[in-house]
Amino acid sequence: MSNDEETAKADGGTASRSETAEDERSEEHPLEWDEPENNDKAPDERDSVSHRTEKYDDRKLVTGQAKYTADYEERYPDLAYAAVVRSDIPHGRVTDINTSAAEAMDGVDAVLTPESDAVPDAKYTSAGQSYPEPSPWDMHVLNEHVRYIGDPIAAVAAEDRATATAAVESIEVSYEKYDYVTDPEDAFDEDAPQLFEDGEVENEIVGHDYDRNRMAHIGGELGDVDAALDGDTHVHETEWETIRQSHANVEKHTSLAYTNEDDRHVLITSTQVPNHTRRQLAHLFDIPIRDIRVQKPRVGGGFGGKQAMVIEPIPLALSLATDRPVLYEASREEEFYAMRSRHPMKVKAKTAVTEDGDIKAIDIYALSNTGAYGSHGMTVAGNVGSKPMPLYSKVPNARFEADIVHTNTPQTGAMRGYGAPQGTLALEGHLDEVARDLGLDPIEFRRRHHMEVGDLDEIAGMMGGEGANRRIRSCGLDECIERGKDAIGYDDLEQPDEDHLHRGIGMALSAQGTGVAGDELGAAQIMMNEDGSFHLQVGGVDIGTGADTAFLQIAAEVLGCDEGEIIVKSSDTDVTPFDYGAYASSTTYISGMAVKKAAEDAKERILNWGSKLLGEPVGDLETGDGTVYSEASDDSVTLEDIGYEAAYGDDEREHILGKGTHCTEESPPPFAAQFADVTVDETTGEFEVQKLVVAVDCGVAINPGMAEGQIEGANHMSYEMAVSDGITLDDEGRAEVADFDEYGLPSATETPPIESILVETHEPTGPFGAKSVAEVPTNTVPPALSNAVRDAVGVRIREMPITAEKIRSKLDEREI
Amino acid sequence: MEIELEINDVEQTVDASKSDSLLDVLRRNGYTGAKRGCDTGACGFCTVHVDGEPVKSCVEPVTKDQDTSIETIEGLGTQSDLHPVQQAFVDNTALQCGFCIPGMIMRSTALLETNPNPTEQEVREALSDNLCRCTGYKKIVEAVLDAAERMDSDTAVAADGGTAVDNDGGAAAVTECSRTDCGCMEGDQ
Repeated sequence: MSNDEETAKADGGTASRSETAEDERSEEHPLEWDEPENNDKAPDERDSVSHRTEKYDDRKLVTGQAKYTADYEERYPDLAYAAVVRSDIPHGRVTDINTSAAEAMDGVDAVLTPESDAVPDAKYTSAGQSYPEPSPWDMHVLNEHVRYIGDPIAAVAAEDRATATAAVESIEVSYEKYDYVTDPEDAFDEDAPQLFEDGEVENEIVGHDYDRNRMAHIGGELGDVDAALDGDTHVHETEWETIRQSHANVEKHTSLAYTNEDDRHVLITSTQVPNHTRRQLAHLFDIPIRDIRVQKPRVGGGFGGKQAMVIEPIPLALSLATDRPVLYEASREEEFYAMRSRHPMKVKAKTAVTEDGDIKAIDIYALSNTGAYGSHGMTVAGNVGSKPMPLYSKVPNARFEADIVHTNTPQTGAMRGYGAPQGTLALEGHLDEVARDLGLDPIEFRRRHHMEVGDLDEIAGMMGGEGANRRIRSCGLDECIERGKDAIGYDDLEQPDEDHLHRGIGMALSAQGTGVAGDELGAAQIMMNEDGSFHLQVGGVDIGTGADTAFLQIAAEVLGCDEGEIIVKSSDTDVTPFDYGAYASSTTYISGMAVKKAAEDAKERILNWGSKLLGEPVGDLETGDGTVYSEASDDSVTLEDIGYEAAYGDDEREHILGKGTHCTEESPPPFAAQFADVTVDETTGEFEVQKLVVAVDCGVAINPGMAEGQIEGANHMSYEMAVSDGITLDDEGRAEVADFDEYGLPSATETPPIESILVETHEPTGPFGAKSVAEVPTNTVPPALSNAVRDAVGVRIREMPITAEKIRSKLDEREI
Repeated sequence: MEIELEINDVEQTVDASKSDSLLDVLRRNGYTGAKRGCDTGACGFCTVHVDGEPVKSCVEPVTKDQDTSIETIEGLGTQSDLHPVQQAFVDNTALQCGFCIPGMIMRSTALLETNPNPTEQEVREALSDNLCRCTGYKKIVEAVLDAAERMDSDTAVAADGGTAVDNDGGAAAVTECSRTDCGCMEGDQ
């Protein structure tokens, strides 16, 4: 498929519910799923899955033995250190780079500028996505045309960090300054300064209009929204705004590059996407894919910030120039102004609702500020609509449109939730407002329209892209709502004794996906050792999520062995099978299913050997407790006996190997019901969040402790989106945040109590019934808290963050 | 210049420049459990003990540490014999990516030294200088409270003539492949 086709799908056009007969659609998307019998186990039949198995890497993490990229430093005695010269103007052309002082400095090995031989000329996108990439190729590794304060211009390699930094500081850059624009609405104006010339960008995205700084326009419609809006309905329109949130990964972007004795190029790097990075580096440097090895050690958090080849080309270019291993560890300041962030957006929500509270149409429009470059710009914006809107699958008319525009501000990219938080704020805040306006209970109002098992979700598919026309086979929304209500005390809220304090509860629902429908691939291999233990090699990428442990539990469940018998090796492109990487809530579902298939493949060989040793038919045999046993005779043989016999037997020998590869058109939504309990002081606007409760249907939780951890962490990140400023910019688009001290990451004392509730459903398309968990609770605190403040004191905050000043100001307006 | 200090009960003489932080020196000498998160003392990932006190080693000039006793995460417990705080973190699924955890654990052990039975609020306050991006702190706080209980009962057992938990640790045990460029990443994954 060409990229035009790929992106044209996202432009979609219109679809109608009446075009295809229901029975035809049922045939294409049947409710019944041909699920293997072994996939659906009752809780008491599960030996490993659903257990709180110790996280595979925890012991080395708590003892400080685990190695992250920067910890490889000591292995390379001739290591050089990189530092980067970045633009300090928002827009312009570099006219001169004076590197003479840097080059004369003792201990400086290389100074690279855009002209240097080792620096690729090719355009690319940093987005680590599938291929062809649905992001425009609009970047250069080092830039003459700079488009934001932070754009890389030159790079240095030196003996030590201090020398590298001193060299960078000695480099003088002269610019021809251009006009710049930092506000997305201004940027969309025809007279605004233009960031890209027409024809300058390769791999352009649908709807681009660079004269107006628009990198993409997308949209889709189901039914006839305008007719519904013109009908006999109440039309409500609201507008919402989200922050520029930093991933604030605790481990900064860090990469180490060198050329090994086989003249192949090795990257040890903190990434979510080893295979995509390998492909992108091959393209950029014109090196065959086979000659690049990307190794992922332990990673200190990603959250989407490392679903990108953000820095890898720089140490690789420096390594090629110096013939030395080069480590580039971004500074914390660079993390905030020169890496990636969540797209700040303005989102408009409009609905047509009957007097009785039937929603006839939902119409959402997003204006997304993609910053200086377009990585993940179109796809993130698409998810503003395609993730939250399908939640209301019973609404007959739906429309979504988005404009994604460039400004001279820092780069944005993928971030946990991937557009869904922005859309969820708008839709869940909006519906709350509509319910209150019509005198309906906000929960009951949602209940009348939300998704349930058996629904054919056509809204996710209305733009023709991700999640197209899903049949819903698992949905625990009702239970999520009920248990969430109980936990927050929804029905017996007590007001504080003080007259000026008011308590309120807000709620919000959310859906996400599980992988990108039809655009994922995971693979795994299992090798049996002669002592009955196993090596599991899997491309899936554990960035701190516990994925390796989930893989282990899935494999152990199939193989019937102790988890301690399995050694996991993941994410090294030379030795582990292919994988798209850790993003889109795909890892457990896609890579986990590949692991399950690999284990089943190995199990088939194991049972064959068991049959030989026991003299009984394979059909009577099963694995469990480290043995193959006969259900007919009660005889058994250990996996160790089988391992030795297979490896060293007299007549026949075999290395027991299992392999699995998985891709699917399915992307079942996980669900969340969020509740927030807030007390607001009406005299000051100050508020305190007493509690956050979030109930999540993630199918069967492979490891409940890890799933709860994902939910709590996601809700903490979501809370930050509701109450923190994010990365604020000055008039020139310069980040005003340089350190954690200046960034509002809530500390242990600033974080409200978070209660996570796991609501188990069974998703027949997922490994042992699992679907995703890590993103959906990221979407929900901003609308739930906005709704809670509305409930407490009757004012509505639509522009994040929610602050005492904003509440106070709205209260003042109301009093007047 | 040379600095004499004790790291995890081993007396050492380390090379340092005047501008080196304690973190620089620790990491250069193989104690890589302390992590570099900010270089400004804002994140707490580099927390170690200096003479028993929790210190952010990235903003501690190593010149201050002549003749001091340093304890790092490597000195606490081993993978097969975890310190009760480490064990509580594991048992409570309190960590995800783990990058903040060595600092978080050193901060927690310092707290429990001075306050063996903290309240939840006291734990949260003690940890408020140590950031975490993954967990929302809930399970970390639960782990520290759990560790307090475990250590309390361990102490009781020890006083009763039982065996106290062995907290002794040696120098940084870097168990990795010794070949410079074999690329096996042994001991990493």
